[in-house]
Amino acid sequence: MESIEKPAAIDRENLSEEFFLQALLESAYSLRMITTGDIDGIRLERFELMAEKAKRYAGCDSDSVRVEVARNIMSSINYSMGLFLKSFQTPDEAVKALKEMKMADILSEGRKRVDITLKTAKAIHSRLISEIISVGNICYNDTVFGGITGFFKLYDPDLGAHETHINADYPTCNPMKRFAGAEFIKKYTEAIYYENTFCRNFQPGDMRRLLYGYDRSYKDLIFNIYEIALTSALGSLLSGGDARRLIMTESAALYLDKFFRNQTDDRIDSTILEAYDGLKKIFDIKGSQELYIKASLKKISSEIKIAVKLDTVGKLFISPEYHGEKPVIYYSCGEKTDNESYRKIVEKIMQSENLSDKILIIKNQIHSLADLEDVLLDAEMLPHEITAVLRGLEPLETAALLKKYPLESDIETAGMRKSEMILTRCLNDLFSSMPEKLKEFIYKAVKTIEFDRSDF
Amino acid sequence: MEFELELFNNQPLIQKQAADRILKCNELTLKFGLMLTGEQALRLAETRNESLSANGRIEFGGGIIDKIIKEFCDSPYISMNNYEETLHELIEIFYYFKNESLDLISDDELIKFMKSAFDGVCQGSLEALSGRDLEALARNLRFGYAADYSEETGEAEDDDGEY
Repeated sequence: MESIEKPAAIDRENLSEEFFLQALLESAYSLRMITTGDIDGIRLERFELMAEKAKRYAGCDSDSVRVEVARNIMSSINYSMGLFLKSFQTPDEAVKALKEMKMADILSEGRKRVDITLKTAKAIHSRLISEIISVGNICYNDTVFGGITGFFKLYDPDLGAHETHINADYPTCNPMKRFAGAEFIKKYTEAIYYENTFCRNFQPGDMRRLLYGYDRSYKDLIFNIYEIALTSALGSLLSGGDARRLIMTESAALYLDKFFRNQTDDRIDSTILEAYDGLKKIFDIKGSQELYIKASLKKISSEIKIAVKLDTVGKLFISPEYHGEKPVIYYSCGEKTDNESYRKIVEKIMQSENLSDKILIIKNQIHSLADLEDVLLDAEMLPHEITAVLRGLEPLETAALLKKYPLESDIETAGMRKSEMILTRCLNDLFSSMPEKLKEFIYKAVKTIEFDRSDF
Repeated sequence: MEFELELFNNQPLIQKQAADRILKCNELTLKFGLMLTGEQALRLAETRNESLSANGRIEFGGGIIDKIIKEFCDSPYISMNNYEETLHELIEIFYYFKNESLDLISDDELIKFMKSAFDGVCQGSLEALSGRDLEALARNLRFGYAADYSEETGEAEDDDGEY
């Protein structure tokens, strides 16, 4: 006969995270899982531990300490013990441990957990610092570089394990339960790290423009940056835009307004969830970060529902604004074909005698600017043949190539291969022969183009 | 929590232990003509509890009453007429100035200072001890000076341009 698991008597959800030991004792006592005698024994052992630590604090020079000091030490002991007791599968098992183990052993195990938690928090913080997004928000930077760092300097795991020390002004998107001490800083740093990692999916310039669109004084404000980015990415996806670019046009915002207006609350929830599935694929979100972002969706759905009621959905999806920055065109040269296929194409071109045959092969078999660039360098085509191919390009494609193979005045030929010099010369000659208006357009495009990060 | 800590100070067992330690001191103080009864010892233990409570302190070790007794028993200003009364005052003064000095002085150093001042400049006056010399000590420690720093000495050094 299979054993039936007895449901836990104490509900874990009802126990305070910050004062776990006290909450556990109260619950256990009210359910008669422990007696008054058990409580007295636990209390006495805890006092003895406190006395020991207080003597160490006083440095063997004093037989007495101030009550505040003793209280602080007791809180530290309770916290550390609580951290160990939280590690049990159920609160009932934790109560069993309280009855069977010595308090000194529970404290010792708890202290080990405090140390591990602190070490983990420091490791996450270290990664966060090296990967922090560059948006210039003062509160964000101060929290990551100043606040959290300050915590590690002030934290005393022995006599102040329960202390939080910092205000943690920067608000995370997902509400933090009331944790304390090392647990708090680990969860807080982790939350900011997941949020930061999500925001790293976007170009810094796009992030700054989005935040400027949110509020021109965004650098001085205290708000959650990730929530803005996530909402914008979801909105972009739902309105058929590029979620990677955080672009939200007025028409897209209007579309979303109409889209959500007639949806039920449940439908809004499922729409956001579906959009998130799309984001997961685009940004390869997985693991703990996936869980964190999924938990954020509830808040975003809730904001949309409120916006629907207040008829402000259009304002929820922010249009980025430029501020003193020149516009940027992010250009992707596309994916390169595999080596074997590429080699065959180049061979075919080299074996063709007619220019028209070469152009036909290129038109039919070359599908990205990246491959075209390589073919023009590798296929040993004559200058007039290269020029003929270049004439068939769109202006932006020409501008992208000129960005890589600059105009004559900017040329530095030292270190260039012969094929690169020929391509550069052809591009320059072609450019010179263009009508003035077209030349002006291409010239501006060259200055504005930035290549997509994924090309490198 | 505070209630629990109060109880810690007032546990009957701790009271009894404190009184026993006080009585044990009679072995030493007898040669100075000083002795305490069981009742007096219990009253002194009670004063200790009240002082700890009044000054927001909690005591873990053996307590300081016996240390005070051993240090002050040879004072020329203490006799059987004022022995118990003086000890009550010294206990209260001790815990008060442990707080005033921000715990920057050890128990032994404070007791030694009290004895030295009591027998010396204070000439047996507890008012002078608490109102003048111990106030000065606490002030010096709070401002980061040595226990025996004197403002007058400080001014003289200023005149020479040296600190």
